[in-house]
Amino acid sequence: MSGAKDRDRVGIIGIGQSNFRSRRDDASYPDLVREAVVPAMLDAKLDFDAIDAVVYSLSPDAMVGIGNAERLGVDAVGGRNKRFLRINTGGATGISSVTAAYYHIASGVCDVVLTAGADKVGECGDSQTVLNKIWDPTYERALPLGTINMLAMSAVRYMQRYGMTEEDMAYVTVKNRRQAALNPRAHLRKVVTIDEVMESRVISWPIKLMDCCPQSSGGAAMVLASEQFIRDNKLDAVWITGVACRAETYWMGDRMGTNPTAEHADAYALGRSFEQSYRMAGITDPANQVHIAELYAPFSNTEYHAIDAARLVAKSGESVKRVRDGEFELGGRLPVNPSGGTLCTNAIAVTAMARVAETALQVWGRAGAHQVEGARVGIASGNGGDHQIFGTMVIEA
Amino acid sequence: MAYRVRPAVIGCAIRPAIIGRDRSLEEIIYDISQAALADAGLVIEDIDGIVVGCNDQFDGRAISVMMASGPTGGVDRDILSTPSASEHAFVLGALRVASGHFSTQLVVSWSPTEASSMSEAQRLGADPYFHRALPLDELSAHALQASALNHVWPNAWVFAEAVAAKNRRHGAVAWPDPPARPRAGPARWPLTERLTTQPVTGAVAMVLAGESFVAEHSCKNPAWLHGMGWATEAAFLGDRDLALAPALVAAARQAYTEAGVIDPTAAFDVVEITDATAYAELIAYDALGLAPRDTIAARMADGWFARGGRLPVNLSGGVITFNPVFCTGMIRIAEIANQVRGCAGPHQLEGARLGLAHAGSGFAMQYQSAIVLGAS
Repeated sequence: MSGAKDRDRVGIIGIGQSNFRSRRDDASYPDLVREAVVPAMLDAKLDFDAIDAVVYSLSPDAMVGIGNAERLGVDAVGGRNKRFLRINTGGATGISSVTAAYYHIASGVCDVVLTAGADKVGECGDSQTVLNKIWDPTYERALPLGTINMLAMSAVRYMQRYGMTEEDMAYVTVKNRRQAALNPRAHLRKVVTIDEVMESRVISWPIKLMDCCPQSSGGAAMVLASEQFIRDNKLDAVWITGVACRAETYWMGDRMGTNPTAEHADAYALGRSFEQSYRMAGITDPANQVHIAELYAPFSNTEYHAIDAARLVAKSGESVKRVRDGEFELGGRLPVNPSGGTLCTNAIAVTAMARVAETALQVWGRAGAHQVEGARVGIASGNGGDHQIFGTMVIEA
Repeated sequence: MAYRVRPAVIGCAIRPAIIGRDRSLEEIIYDISQAALADAGLVIEDIDGIVVGCNDQFDGRAISVMMASGPTGGVDRDILSTPSASEHAFVLGALRVASGHFSTQLVVSWSPTEASSMSEAQRLGADPYFHRALPLDELSAHALQASALNHVWPNAWVFAEAVAAKNRRHGAVAWPDPPARPRAGPARWPLTERLTTQPVTGAVAMVLAGESFVAEHSCKNPAWLHGMGWATEAAFLGDRDLALAPALVAAARQAYTEAGVIDPTAAFDVVEITDATAYAELIAYDALGLAPRDTIAARMADGWFARGGRLPVNLSGGVITFNPVFCTGMIRIAEIANQVRGCAGPHQLEGARLGLAHAGSGFAMQYQSAIVLGAS
């Protein structure tokens, strides 16, 4: 394998996102996709004839209640008689879709690729009812396992191993809500206090209601292009310089043991994915070379092990103190989730794409009120399955 | 050719119809992945990344790729999934090798039959407001397509019967073991029982590698990717002329441009077409440029598409012989790879050098792909 700098680069030339909300009764599912595609195409200053291929971003079909619902999105992305395929890696789907679009171009087959999708998590009834069905029906589903208690177990282990407290978890929520308040696209924008988080009802100890992401509806879209196309057409772009994906075991029972892959406090495969992305981008000291991070963390506790896995701190567990010191908030040394992150907006099919999009906007200098001053190098991540499939990217101005 | 690195298929495994319940889905996926690796002379440590084609509705799980990370060898490895179609997993695996970022890819697809009703699982794919209440499943959509073709080509049903008979004859050679030949399936007018086949459980896997890996590892008989096209039609059947296949025309154009194929009627030694029904094969002859519609009758009379003919189509017996619904597209690609590698088994065509695989899936073949593979 070789790095992006050995070849023509792939750039991001257009971004579109919904204003994410609990419900969007005014828009059908394809309408939501279109709502993101139109601004992305306008941003790229291209018409649909320029699009060589579409990568459709959609996680579990059951979330929208339609099998292979990507088929109904074909017209919303202008996909008729064009190259079209869909990606699903659960919560990582959005970043996996950008990754797949990247390979369409890096292969030499396509010059311009649109990746887009939407979700109506807020209208699916109850996303946990769907997500309870991701576990093996014979052995683990009946425990019962859910995505919340799965990560509550990770939180307990992180507390035991690194000394994180419930207040430390609340601190992440307070930080991200304060940042989301500056982002008009974020779903939960109300500023909250440590006490309010601590007093919110327990969902699965130690995770409380305000430690949880919302169920959001909305869409996201991005247009990627080859360096040659960007230069020939004198387009503005930011560049994907590192890209990787890594998976862990499916089985929760395999997350208990002394092997690093079995340490449920940490995010082993996320760390491995970041290693590969950094290698490709030539980043050797991420804590000092990265200016902004959008890390997929649907529950407050998971932001800590994401920061650890991205090596934004010297050793795992150090993130707890550094968040308390304000190092990772807007105005701090290396803002994490300046958009408010997954904790404030989670339209599952495109949540990880939003991490990439927000990182791109930051290094482009176009993030708006939550812009990180002087950001030139950013990282993004996505987590899918039962904290199992991870995607990472490095994006540079 | 546009690829930065030229991909090749260096290992293939097609699991014959899986009858009975002695293997779990995880075991089936493990078996097929290991069989493809063994065929390539590799072990999982040689694999840089994995792409799986699997479908939540057929598997009865949400995010069915999750379960596959273990049995495919995806733990601590890069794994993606394309639930849109099995053939899309091949496409993405090939793109990843072609990018030069990966030396190798394992692509895997499967299709179980444990769903209490395949028809009900497929019905979930119809939009909930207009089509789902019809009721519409894949066989009904194929029947509507057959009707559309009969309408514009009143004798089409005669040739559909002949195509099905040809493929069943080929299937008897390719899969001599009787359990591999499922019974005739349920009918939907105008599809008679002879034109349909019961779904069976099946699995397929392939190993792809870039040209330097092939050279360094002295891989035997690689099937080189010459061209690849894939495209989709609209979702609403009312927005389509079901007797035509514009997405397949587009996909073929992409593949032929990459492969430098100017005259598809004379370019290929062997072809595999996704005959979800025999009508789909008739439509594909025309859309792939293998035989314009007004020439099909004469060519079939001459045995053009049969074993021993000028352009044998579906020597494997096609879908009508072996119908693991979701992975039939990737099986077509694996069959052509095996033909040009010279290891197709009892149905090997002597001297096959360049082959064309057609993969189609979804309601009335919404997704269409064309893959050109060659021995050199």
